[in-house]
Amino acid sequence: MSTTESYAQPEVLVSTDWVKQHLHQPGIRIVEIDVDTQAYEAGHIPGAVGFNWQTQLQDPVRRDILSAEGFEQLMRQAGIRNEDTVILYGDHNNWFAAYGFWLFKIYGHRDVRLMNGGRVKWLNEPDKPLTTEKPVFPPSNYKVQSMHTELRALLPQVFEASQKGHYNLVDVRSPDEFTGKVIAPPGMTETAQRGGHIPGAKNIPWSQAVNPDGTFKSAAELRAIYVEQKGLDPSKPTIAYCRIGERSSHTWFVLKYLLGFPEVRNYDGSWTEYGNLVGAPIEKP
Amino acid sequence: MNHTTRVYDSIFELLPDVENPTPLVRVRRLNPSPTFELFAKLEWYNPFGSVKDRAAWAMLHELEQRGEVHAHRGIVEPTSGNTGLSLAAMAGARGYRMRAVVPNRVPLEKKLLLKIVGAELDVVSDELCPAPGLGDGSINLAKTHARAQADRYAMPNQYENPANVEAHFRTTGPEIWRQTEGRITHLFVSLGTCGTVTGTGRFLRQQNRRIRIIAVQPGPGHDVPGLRNLDQLAVSKLFDPSLIDEILEIEPELAYTRALELCRQEGLLAGPSSGLILEGARRIIQRDGNGLGVMIFPDNVFKYTTNFRKHVRELQEGLESPASRV
Repeated sequence: MSTTESYAQPEVLVSTDWVKQHLHQPGIRIVEIDVDTQAYEAGHIPGAVGFNWQTQLQDPVRRDILSAEGFEQLMRQAGIRNEDTVILYGDHNNWFAAYGFWLFKIYGHRDVRLMNGGRVKWLNEPDKPLTTEKPVFPPSNYKVQSMHTELRALLPQVFEASQKGHYNLVDVRSPDEFTGKVIAPPGMTETAQRGGHIPGAKNIPWSQAVNPDGTFKSAAELRAIYVEQKGLDPSKPTIAYCRIGERSSHTWFVLKYLLGFPEVRNYDGSWTEYGNLVGAPIEKP
Repeated sequence: MNHTTRVYDSIFELLPDVENPTPLVRVRRLNPSPTFELFAKLEWYNPFGSVKDRAAWAMLHELEQRGEVHAHRGIVEPTSGNTGLSLAAMAGARGYRMRAVVPNRVPLEKKLLLKIVGAELDVVSDELCPAPGLGDGSINLAKTHARAQADRYAMPNQYENPANVEAHFRTTGPEIWRQTEGRITHLFVSLGTCGTVTGTGRFLRQQNRRIRIIAVQPGPGHDVPGLRNLDQLAVSKLFDPSLIDEILEIEPELAYTRALELCRQEGLLAGPSSGLILEGARRIIQRDGNGLGVMIFPDNVFKYTTNFRKHVRELQEGLESPASRV
């Protein structure tokens, strides 16, 4: 399968074997973040805490990511310290684990990594333990030390990217969502009034970045897909979006850390913001 | 146990085998050819209501014999409903717990029935945004329970357990062979875990190499509960393509149309997967002209009334008195 050596920043990925070897090691903290919020309760990596993306990773009132104060609070309660190495993993090929990674980076956490292959890879390896026991850690005094809002795209930038063409604009949803045949994947409650995509966006479904075992493809394979086949220009800034910003975090991670694109932003407003705007241009074949 | 008087010591004695087969009934009005005999094997005559009783009992019996299930250790299983129902009813009667993990798209009737027969129920949203090798959410969650709480749950795993295939090799195949007096030329089946087609097909092929085995699958994006099409078959380790002569892909809506015809014109109260199989059989009959075909009808219509209501427009109307529609 993929080798990590040729990635731009290989240190942000760890293997399932690495995680097994480092279980319960001081200074290393494991966090599970799933799409299916019942998965953690059913069983998780020993020592892992679980974050619920619906209730813990966003502002509870207005539509926004978790505030810096909220993030500090979450870290303190989970006993995560500024100097800890945080390993994130989750279901659906790390969709929300990648979203968590993005949030950790926005709030300047120094050492955060993804477990390559996520929850399913761990589950399907017979030597990997799972438990229902929830670990307890003493609270920390975590402090957000720097903010990196340059990792996030807000609507004005998205308009600019769509209109002026000096950005790569990447829609990572399924082809049916991109063309507007469906507005959201079946069963999803967060949706939009209109289907289609942002004018100028290229459709590169997030899943093109992964192998059948859930791990990321090699740097050469990824470069062939994103640059050679789909024509992204690595010298331009890039904005990735999906429906609510979790699948696009996955692609954001690929472009920024595995391929080393210099400026990549995740548009977390994504289609549930854009597809609800009155008067905004939409491309729909 | 006495199959003549049909007096039994326990419900388990009703499980089918060659001495107590599920019925084989001739299809009369919906068979397009007078020179081709067509029979339906009514699997809803199994004691817990579907073809899945066979695999469920084989898997459970094996776990019991190995001492893997008892009062303190039950089972957890991913299911689209029927296997779960069989297992839950059996587990309840044997005195241990059953946890069923079902995809959200499973019909409401099946979810309710699982709870009625005492299963703990987990519902997961599958097929959010397909990816290679992602696996099935319900299978993954069931595996998680079985791994994280191995002291509480054993997982029969119908998608991988050879007992699923053996059940059909030992019962369904021999029943059909005897019931048709060895005259069967065509077997029509649907695909789910593939236990039915692999076990039955293997037995019948051993008796007569020339029997044609025809699998019927719904097209992509289908809503025919319990069935998988080729794109979704990767999860099953029991699929043996070498046994299958042809796979017919049928437009999913025909499952409902044909099932309705079975209910109304044959008196066979069959579910949508049976409707799909009938459509496949009719196409082959029109092509091949003569023979003796057996269709395995997995279950009856009662668990699918809400699905029928969704797919058949005329069923959406006239369900309330005009006075209540103010």
